Amino acid sequence: MVLTRSPPETLLASLSSKEIQFAIVLSLKTSVASTILCLLVAVPAAYALARYDFPGKSVANTLLDMPLALPPLVAGVGLLLFFGTSLPGRELADAGLVFVFTPLGIVAAQFFVNVPFMVRVMRSTFEGISPRYEYVAKTLGCTEGQALWRVTLPMASNGLVAGSVITWSKAIGEFGAVLMMAGATRMRTETLPTSLFLNMSCGKLDEAISVATILILISVISLYVFERRVGGLRL
Amino acid sequence: MLRMEKVSKNLGDFVLRDVSLEVGDGEYLVIIGPTGSGKTILMETVAGIYNPDEGRIFLDGRDITGEAPRNRKVCMVYQDYMLFPHLSVEENIAFGLKSRRVSVGEVEEKVAEVSNLLGISHLHPRRPGTLSGGEKQRVAIARAIVMEPSVMLLDEPLSALDGLTRERLRRELKRIHQVYGTTIIHVTHNFEEVFSLADKVAVMNKGEIVQVGTPEEIFRRPKCEMIASFVGVENIFRGVASKSRGMTEIVVDGLKIVATAEGGGDGEGNDGERSDKLNGWEGREVFASVRPEEILISKVPLKSSARNSFSGRVDEIANGGMMVKVWVDVGISFMTMLTRLGYEEMDLKVGDPVYLTFKATAVHVF
Repeated sequence: MVLTRSPPETLLASLSSKEIQFAIVLSLKTSVASTILCLLVAVPAAYALARYDFPGKSVANTLLDMPLALPPLVAGVGLLLFFGTSLPGRELADAGLVFVFTPLGIVAAQFFVNVPFMVRVMRSTFEGISPRYEYVAKTLGCTEGQALWRVTLPMASNGLVAGSVITWSKAIGEFGAVLMMAGATRMRTETLPTSLFLNMSCGKLDEAISVATILILISVISLYVFERRVGGLRL
Repeated sequence: MLRMEKVSKNLGDFVLRDVSLEVGDGEYLVIIGPTGSGKTILMETVAGIYNPDEGRIFLDGRDITGEAPRNRKVCMVYQDYMLFPHLSVEENIAFGLKSRRVSVGEVEEKVAEVSNLLGISHLHPRRPGTLSGGEKQRVAIARAIVMEPSVMLLDEPLSALDGLTRERLRRELKRIHQVYGTTIIHVTHNFEEVFSLADKVAVMNKGEIVQVGTPEEIFRRPKCEMIASFVGVENIFRGVASKSRGMTEIVVDGLKIVATAEGGGDGEGNDGERSDKLNGWEGREVFASVRPEEILISKVPLKSSARNSFSGRVDEIANGGMMVKVWVDVGISFMTMLTRLGYEEMDLKVGDPVYLTFKATAVHVF
């Protein structure tokens, strides 16, 4: 329906508009940044959850799963309240890290909504790798860190790639939490979904549809990569 | 020398209780015991994967109880190989040497040497996923032995392999042990591995070492019922094999036992396989076993085509209800079994002269 609505010429024409180009660039930048942050946090967290027993492990698991069930809009409100009104939030703002209604806020919103998902993908990836590989690596002269770096992480590469791709595509498509945190300011916090919303609400159908087309392409490609890499992975 | 002093470890499902054990330099220790008796955790504690809750471990006089695995000079081979799937065979074997920052030339040299010994040089560029079970285990053994460890730990290394591959690899383990002189601890369920490889056997049950001794001691004089039922093998003899008119002859304490060229057992394998086996045994020390129910006992010599016939005296009779066990001394002691009816008809008493007869195919050589 969406794809057949407008001919390719109008699609190309809207692609050349300043506003759409801004949205594409902003979306790419923020989604890549939030995906990298997700990786940095989720990989060690997931590894700990898969390998070690520690007090509070089940609580940590539940806390991580909760945002999956929470509507992103609600998560966004929570984040807005945290960064806007709480003491640590204001201190961050005083230190120059302003999250509310800024592109930085977009990254934060994408990160908090996606990190539980990334942890789940990585946790089941690590759980699927027998710890005996690391045992063998350690008897072959590796420290714990080297065993992780030379054996477990390469063996987890499929999960890493798949998790990153799906996280990135979810980040690009994130709307609710981003809207709450960063607002929908044209040419300032306008990501692709925001742009779709803005164009749609002021009746610029061609622009709206070309943005939708881009989002569809991104999700199809990332889904394909995800399926290729982790066909049978349990999430 | 590896020495464990009163080592205990509790992992919940698996435990070690007060394990004390000594393995001499170059000794081949085989550990047997039922599933869940703590054999693997014992190995992993020696390797340093777990720190014992109590007790100490010494290697060559050095206390290694708290030492990190990489500083122990202890290598490990698992039943399911644990080859790194993202590396080629060659990279797998070289893995440990690279951790030690050995020079490139030396790595190449050592990998080539161990690969030649195990006959896996042609597999170098391949990924572990494309290898057969026997090939994978060779690579895993190569990866461990190339480190020239003080102790090599083998956790049921042959259990996942089919009969023929298992036997070949068993012989190679023996050769590797001779070539490198490494101290080896080998966990198994298989009594043939015990006899063909072990200098010393330790029996484990419920996290404890219940008996340590030579294979003969363990099998002939099991300390408790658990060991007896677990090992459950009668009529095992150690002798020297030789070739004679297409048959195998095993001389045990001056007594000549005739077996087929392929040594009974599974009876599989083609002609090439058979002569291969026989040539492998020629002049070597082997074990022969005969199942008690394969031996005929009689008061007069039997005229039959059976190749083994010995005269001796009844040593001991154990009347067990349905079946009667009779031990006969013909120079070495054989156990045979009779049905109750057969026993009554023969009217046997201790000290009676009798004849034992069994076919060459009944003799299992390993």
